[in-house]
Order: sequence, then C-alpha cells, then structure tokens
Amino acid sequence: MNFLKRAFYSTKAKVGRSLLLTFVFSAILIFILAGLTIQSASLTAAENAKKSMGATVTLSANMENAMKEMQENTRDGERPDPSSFSITPIDLDDVEKITALDNLSSYSLSSTTTVNAKSFDAISSEDSSDDSDTEQQGGPGGMQMPEMASQGDISISGTNATAKASSFTGGTAEIIDGVGITEADADSNKAVIETNLAEANDIAVGDTIKVKGDDKTYKLSVVGIYKSTEATDSRSMQMASLNPYNTIYTSYTFANKVKGSDYKNTADSVVFNVTDPEKMDDFVKAAEATGLDTDTYALTTNDQVYQQMVQPLDNVKSFANKIVILVAVAGTVILALIVMLTIRERKYEIGVLMSLGEKRSKIIAQFFTELVFVLVIALVVAGVSGQFVGNAVGKQLIEQQTTTQTTDTASNAQGGPGMGGGQGGGAPSGMPSGGGQGGPTMGGNMPQAADVQEQISDLDITLSMKELIELGGFGLGISFLAVIIASISIMRMKPKKILIS
Amino acid sequence: MLEVKDVNYWYQSKNDVLYDDINLTFDSGKLYGILGSSGSGKTTFLSLIAGLDVPKKGDILYDGKSMKKIGLTAYRNKYVSIVFQSYNLLPYMSAVDNILAALEITNSQRKDRKTYALEMLARVGITEDMAKKNVQHLSGGQQQRVAIVRAMCCDAQLVVADEPTGNLDEQNSQEIIKLFAELAHEQQKCVIVITHERDIANACDVVLELKNKKFNTIK
Repeated sequence: MNFLKRAFYSTKAKVGRSLLLTFVFSAILIFILAGLTIQSASLTAAENAKKSMGATVTLSANMENAMKEMQENTRDGERPDPSSFSITPIDLDDVEKITALDNLSSYSLSSTTTVNAKSFDAISSEDSSDDSDTEQQGGPGGMQMPEMASQGDISISGTNATAKASSFTGGTAEIIDGVGITEADADSNKAVIETNLAEANDIAVGDTIKVKGDDKTYKLSVVGIYKSTEATDSRSMQMASLNPYNTIYTSYTFANKVKGSDYKNTADSVVFNVTDPEKMDDFVKAAEATGLDTDTYALTTNDQVYQQMVQPLDNVKSFANKIVILVAVAGTVILALIVMLTIRERKYEIGVLMSLGEKRSKIIAQFFTELVFVLVIALVVAGVSGQFVGNAVGKQLIEQQTTTQTTDTASNAQGGPGMGGGQGGGAPSGMPSGGGQGGPTMGGNMPQAADVQEQISDLDITLSMKELIELGGFGLGISFLAVIIASISIMRMKPKKILIS
Repeated sequence: MLEVKDVNYWYQSKNDVLYDDINLTFDSGKLYGILGSSGSGKTTFLSLIAGLDVPKKGDILYDGKSMKKIGLTAYRNKYVSIVFQSYNLLPYMSAVDNILAALEITNSQRKDRKTYALEMLARVGITEDMAKKNVQHLSGGQQQRVAIVRAMCCDAQLVVADEPTGNLDEQNSQEIIKLFAELAHEQQKCVIVITHERDIANACDVVLELKNKKFNTIK
C-alpha cells in the first residue's frame, strides 16, 4: 500500500477533517476563481475595446510651427502681424501614401468652409446677427485665410464619407432620410442637410438648394437628411454657422471648390483610424517615414477614449490581481496552519510510519495527496459557485469604476470647452477654411462617453477551461506550499520521541 | 546477527551515562528477554537496537555492517520490525490494511500479500471479518496481535518488542509471548523482548537483566 492509498484511506476515515479542509479550500478557490474570471473578463473586454475602438491619428497643419514662423518674420520689438499667419492645407498625395500603411482601418477627410444660404434661410436665433450676405474680413482669431475671407451662415462640412465623419460615428448625427455622402460622391454637388433646416425651409430629399460662396452661387442636390443631437452653445447663438442645424455635409471636393482653386486636392485635416491602439506610435513613425513634411504638418495621436474605456478595466484587472494574490497568500497561510494542526494530531501516525522505515518525503507526499483529494472536491465546488461570485464582485467593481470614470470625465469636460469637441482632434477650426469655423464636431471618429460606459458595463464574466486549469494550478501551488510549510515540523520529528514517549 | 559494540548513551551530560559500555551479541532463531526496572535504560536500549536513535558512543552492527552506515531509515525499513506497548497501528485502517501498508513500506518480496496477511492474522485468532474492521474496533489484545503479525509478515530478521504485554491480561500475555517464540523458532528471526515481567522473561531462550548500567545474563 503506497502513500496514495494511505492518503485515500486517511481522507475517507477522517470525514470531519476532510470536510473542514474542503470548506476552507473551497472558500479560497472561490475567491481566487472570482479574481481569475474578472481578470480574464477584463482582458477580453480590453481586447474587444481595442478591436471596436481603435485609436485615431490626425494629420493637420502644424499650428505651432506656423505661429513660430509668423513670429520669426516679425521685426524685433514689433507686435506680430496676425495677417501674416498662414497655414498650408494637406495635400491628398501625402494622404494617399499614409493610407497605404498597415494597421489602418479607415480614414476621414475633412474640409470645411462657410457659405451663405441663397435659396433658403439658415436657422438663426433672435439674438444672432443676421449675417446673411454679410462678408466679414478675417477668420476667427484674426487669422488671414488665403483668398477666402467671408463668414457665411451655413457651415459646409466636406467629407469623403459621412459614415466616417465623427458626428455620425459618434452618434450625434444620424441619417433619417435618403443617403449620406460616400467616396463615390467626390466631385459631385450632393448634400446632406439637417432635419430642422430642411423642415424650416420645406426641403426634401431630391430638392436642389442654392448657396453662395464668395462670388459664386452653387447648386446642391439634397440626397439625404440627418438629425443632429449635438448640443448648441452660446457661440452658435451669436454665429449662425456654428449652429449644428446649419451644417451641410458635402463631398470634400465641393468644400474645396468653394474655398478656391488653391484648395484642389487638399483637406483641412485627415483622421486615420488605427486598428490597434498599441501600434499607434508605430503608425505615426511609419506615416512620417512616407516623406511627410513634419514642419508643415503635424500628426497628433489620440487614444483618449480607448484609454478612458480601458482605465476602469485596468483598475478592475489590477484589483482582481490583488484579490488573487492576497487570497492565494492568505489561503496558503490558512491551509498551512490547518495542516500543521492536523500534523500535530497525526504525530503518532507519523511516528508509526517512520518506525516502519517510511521516508519523510513519502509521508509529506501522503499529506500533499490528501490535500489534492480535497482540492479536487473544492475545485468542483468553486467551479459551480465561483462564476456567480465573480459576476457579483465583477459587476460591483465595474459599476464603481465606471461611476468614478464618468464622474472624472464629466468634471474634466466641464473644465474646458474644448472637451466636447470629440476625440479626434481633427481641428478644422482655424484651418484654412475660407474663414470657416470648422464643423460642429471635431475630427476623429471616436464614440462618445455614453457609448464607452455602455461597453464597459458589458463585462462578461464567464468560466472557461482556462480559468479552471489556472485555478487548479493555484490550488496545487497552495497545497504544495501549505504542506511544505507544515512539513518543517515533520522533518524535525524523531520517531523515538514520538513513539517511546 | 546483531552486535552491540561498546555502546553508551546519555541524555543531558556525558558524565551521566546510562550504561557501562555495552557489548552484546544477538543471534537469529532465538527469543531474547531483557529485564530491568523502570528507568534502568531498557527502552533506550531498544530504541538504539531498533534504529530509532543512534548511540552516543560505540556502534551497532547488523551482519557486520554499521547501523550508522546503513542509515537509520533504511535500517528500520529493511532489517528491523518493532512492536510497541501501545501497538502503534495506523488508526484509520483495518487490520489487514495495516499489514499491507507495512509490507508496502518495507518493500516485501511477497506477491500474495493480502492472502498471506489474512492467513497470518487467522493464525493469531483474527478472523477475516475482524481483519477487515478498522483496528480501533478491535480489543487491546487483538490490536497487539495485529502489531505482532505486522512484524511477522515483514521480511526483517530482527524483531524488537517494547513491553508488548504491558497492556494485556495474563491470558493474552501468554498467547503473545507464544507468538514471539514461534517467530523466533519457526521463522528463525532474532526476537528481542523488553519486559519487566519475570513470567514473560522466563519464556525466552536468553534473558538479560539490565542492572547498575550493566547487562547480566540470567538465563
């Protein structure tokens, strides 16, 4: 009869002790399993977030360098001349090179300008000045925009596809009638207008509207109507073109046409959607290596939403890690103590085995085997109940984390007006847009905070074979350590002392 | 078979030795009785010849090989079987399983271990039903018989017993000493029984008395 059989007999005979060990071991394993499942669910959620979110890299004019250049051209002691500030639009040939790179899921071109409504009226508040047919010199901030300098009441948001535009991907704009602008609409005069603007002017899909640029009137064919849920602010009360209802989506080529011949084959900004946020820096390096003039253009990265989304997951994962480590350590100590106590009780048995010439290592192996028997039962118990505990703890944790995160995000958003502008940092504002103010939403195609919270709350805690195997590994490790710690006393035991006394 | 050479032992101080350098020889096929009053050092002597401890001075040789060289665990495993006053059976097993465990631990060469164990138990009056019961359900005398059978079944040629009849009534004691005699005479083992009962000692082939730190042969 070897030590395995002895372990079996002992476990079977000492029902009370075996039950106590099973209970304690089950409790330890349930918490470890909860930690493991939460860890695994966090990882999966982070992976899914990566897949669904990606990150954006925005190509735009290098404003900092443009400003430096303006200052360098200013004589010492003189104030810089605001009219000397100029920025270069992005050449689409440069964009084409970047779009050939790996790790790119899509890209969105943006070219914005303003025009005046000709055959219809722009939405305006009572307070807003009637700037229809009014030509204002200079763009915002006194920046001189080449050739075009008018400030219209309609914002033209030129894009390569509305489906990729940030307001549509972000959920603040939605096509409710007709179709959006697609790549195939380049060089066309198709337009998608806001539903309030359409209703106010009795415009429907299929109608033609007229807008007036600097000195030319353009006809636009309405192919779609969208609904904007973007919040208006006081600025939009002052300037009609900033009112989201007055934004007309067209092909970027149309916006360029309005801006003038210098803008042919250009864009104000391009937002590249990178598939893997972790490879974003590599993407930027590769983009720069295509020969991009980094003095004129800047590539800015943005994975804020991804980071925002994964932060609670990271916190939960980190907490789950701590649970696993703490419970494993505490479990080892508790089990070691119990085993030590049982070894004290079994001193006599150890003496008998030693007197028969049994090796100490085999006696320790017997105790280890007994714990393994208990571990198998505890694994079943933990496997059945661990998932429920994991779900309960995981939900509680993720709720806490997302609440904290949302609160943080909200307070951050209140901190600066720029936050509401979306994540892409496309920054058409201030771009050479013929005095335009940029689109109602800024750049990148990133989901908004509400979507983020929704995705995070979807933490799916399920028990897989991987976790069970991991749990088994932890259990074996804990059993081994507990027996080793408890066995120190066995190693010091002398059969004579046990048996003769 | 077993040679005790200049053996001495002390617990606290070297000045407080238990023996006067013991020199003894034990042969196979004989039943030895060691008599001595309480505290005379007879149990310590048993622990030395049983390999539960090592002498502080001198050496114990088994078939000419030093016990220290053999190693205490290996010595207990291969060469000696011990019977204790308190039986020392594994409490969570049946009588037959106790014997099978001992055979396993001592690497007994027997193939029909279970049949052999049951036969041997039957010889000492333990029926198959009793043999399959947990040892804690057996009486003291029955448990001691199981312990003796465990020593009989193992291949070890040396059997040492410490007060094996100490917890038994007279009738059981006589039966147990008869078993030891059989073990020595039939199986040609060297059986050394430590006792303080003269009646038991008288049943032995050779009787040694430990008195004043010396062993005197009284039979």
